[in-house]
Amino acid sequence: MGYVWAGYGITLATLAAYAVWLLRRSRRLG
Amino acid sequence: MKRTTTSSGLTMSLGIAALVALGATVALGLTLPKTVEQAEYSRLIAIHPGIAWTAYVACTVTALASIAWLLPRTRAAKWDLLAGASAEIGALFTALMLITGSIWGRPTWGVYWVWDARLTLSALLLALLLGYLAIRQVPADPDVRARRSAMAALLALVVVPVNHFAVEWWRTLHQGRSLAQLTPEDSLDGSFLGAMALGFLAMTLVYAWLLVHRVRVARLEEAREETALATAIEERRAEATTLAR
Repeated sequence: MGYVWAGYGITLATLAAYAVWLLRRSRRLG
Repeated sequence: MKRTTTSSGLTMSLGIAALVALGATVALGLTLPKTVEQAEYSRLIAIHPGIAWTAYVACTVTALASIAWLLPRTRAAKWDLLAGASAEIGALFTALMLITGSIWGRPTWGVYWVWDARLTLSALLLALLLGYLAIRQVPADPDVRARRSAMAALLALVVVPVNHFAVEWWRTLHQGRSLAQLTPEDSLDGSFLGAMALGFLAMTLVYAWLLVHRVRVARLEEAREETALATAIEERRAEATTLAR
């Protein structure tokens, strides 16, 4: 099951990290 | 009230819809039954095809926006901004497609990576998208930069259909297109098909939400650059006036 968790974990963590970066950047510029 | 982020009512609703769909995809995906061929690893079907689909959608949006910029009748700065924003998110999804694919490949094929047509073309697509983003960073006149990057975007788009049909045109380790296997003994079980369809929807909604915010951030960055340029010109003018006196 480790591979499955890794696949889901990396996907969710990457998308969340990008979304947070985007929102922070928009807050800084806005 | 002064808006301090790129959020709006629409993006808020889109964001909530994306979160709900993504949550449902994860819940459904992780509870899929084990299969005879792949045991629990087939649970990755809920995310990997959806990620790949979204990477293709992002590339197509980039290419269409680039065409809109290249055509004199529709040329507008907004198309260049949209193309750049979509390419950045496309690169993210292409990287995730390669990562989740490799993670799926290790227990089922025995290897993380093999240079077969599907995997090689996916890696090429990521390289082209990163090249596209690098071109956008090269300092140049906005029109020159937009033209250069639009041509690069069209080059990247060529890879998308070739990659999609690669599993049929060449002998690959990667399985055939899941939805094209229509024979009863090969077709996907209903729950797997449902999880995959939900994954497509969730990833598309996430992409749409990210795209709206990325375009708005790009607009804010552009406005800030213009303000900084205008301030610098004003300062130089003031210096010149002081020196002349």
